[in-house]
Amino acid sequence: MAEHHWGWLVAIYLFLGGMGAGAFLMAAVVELTGMRYRHKYCPTALVGAGVSGPLILIGTLLLILDLGAGLREPWRILLMFTNFQSVMTWGIWILTLFLPIAFVYGILEVMHVYPGILAWVRKRVRFLPETLPYRSIKRVLAVVGGVLAIGTAIYTGVLLSVVSAVPLWHTPVLPALFLVSAVSTGMGLTFDLAATLAVPEIHRHYRHMPVIHMIFIGLEIGLLALLLVTALMQGGVAAESAKLILIGKSSVVFWVLVMGFGMFYPFMVHVYAFARKAHGYRSGVLSGAGIVIAGLFVRYLIVAAAIPVAL
Amino acid sequence: MKLTRQDGELESSPPFSPHRQADGISRRALFKVGVGGALLVAIGGKWMPFSQALEEVKADYALIIDLNKCTGCGACAQACNQRNELPEGKSFIRRLRKEEEDHEHCWCLPVQCQHCQDAPCARVCPAGATYRHPSGVVLVNEKACVGCKYCAVACPYDARIYDEHKGVVDKCWLCLDWVLGGGQPACVQACVTGARIFGRRDDPEIAEILASGRAQPLHPEFGTRPGVVSYIFRGS
Repeated sequence: MAEHHWGWLVAIYLFLGGMGAGAFLMAAVVELTGMRYRHKYCPTALVGAGVSGPLILIGTLLLILDLGAGLREPWRILLMFTNFQSVMTWGIWILTLFLPIAFVYGILEVMHVYPGILAWVRKRVRFLPETLPYRSIKRVLAVVGGVLAIGTAIYTGVLLSVVSAVPLWHTPVLPALFLVSAVSTGMGLTFDLAATLAVPEIHRHYRHMPVIHMIFIGLEIGLLALLLVTALMQGGVAAESAKLILIGKSSVVFWVLVMGFGMFYPFMVHVYAFARKAHGYRSGVLSGAGIVIAGLFVRYLIVAAAIPVAL
Repeated sequence: MKLTRQDGELESSPPFSPHRQADGISRRALFKVGVGGALLVAIGGKWMPFSQALEEVKADYALIIDLNKCTGCGACAQACNQRNELPEGKSFIRRLRKEEEDHEHCWCLPVQCQHCQDAPCARVCPAGATYRHPSGVVLVNEKACVGCKYCAVACPYDARIYDEHKGVVDKCWLCLDWVLGGGQPACVQACVTGARIFGRRDDPEIAEILASGRAQPLHPEFGTRPGVVSYIFRGS
């Protein structure tokens, strides 16, 4: 597929930003609803909080690699905070605020699960308290970070959707799709993958999770269809872009990897899990992997299918 | 002091008098003036009667390309590449091959930066490196460009090129140093058939073409309001 000006690095950055935000949202939801405390050990909270900061940091580093001045004159990056007309500037502000919160939240969650860490630190730094009010600190951070996480996920879509020169992107469907996909990949990572690996009988514990997940996968399929069908109806280069994805060179990736392995299969696994109150170990891991891979390729296909308006 | 595209000094030069640059206005002073000026404009735009005049920053220059005369020889692009020392295979001027309705003949549509009045590239640039010079020409401050390529993605005329060696996104700057000194852009000088007509808007020859309505912007439906470049389309 012909890459216009942006390619893999930007797609991976959008994906990691979305998945990091989604993972944080999952941790925040299980924290705020108290689901985290229903059992002794909550892998969703631990993994969600633990990986969101690093994921977004990796994405940001990739973006810096993609910048012409990224390694040459990195101080120029500071200028990117200055033009408030630019969606990229908003995004950089959101990321700058979200990243430290995600990291602090992750460290707090890890310390909460493993109290030995604080005890170890206290041996060296005497004035620290014996324990921290984890729940109340995390509650505040979960709310503030949750808002910023939603902002991060939406921004990755708005970044593309404001570009009127690329008709495929120029639709409010895109931010909605990226937000839903961010939540879905976050769930796939922290719930399907991490939780299944840690607690194989996980769906017996959270009965309504498969339904919520089905709703998000369904929404993702619906929004993706809406994006592509409106592009086809619009005609011109928008339709050409949609055709690149649907019947072009990458159509195998789209139909097999994204629609098949990343959407249809996980959807069916969750239908089964809902009906039987459980799903298999392998199917849980595979559906999680599928959702995550689909999240990446959806973004790459959309970024790479950018055809600018015809002159 | 010599005016160059690279040093970003154009930003600080007062319009039409490049030689006054030698006064050496410091960047800090410029920043103060800029911030103060922006505040004044912001306040003035809201309260003062001259706000309408401020909104319509008219371009002082016009580049009219007569497509009836253009043969598509590429002399303009070649002169431009040489003048701006562009890397191999990159050009500020793209020549689009357009087919005639009989599918046997074709004609050429040369496209470069249109110097839009509502330039999307300037709006999306996070670093504010792309800006409009008071003359209406859209410029890139290469010292501020971070090379994120958002401008290249946002330009509907696809007039941006990414220079891997410098790590910045570049584009036509209308050879503004020559123009401010009373000269003409390299592409206009090189045009063999005289298809490129360039001058100040109040120049009688230019004013006459503009008043006649023969010169029209390319794809006005993009909504970016091309400020400098316009075309005399085939058959008109």
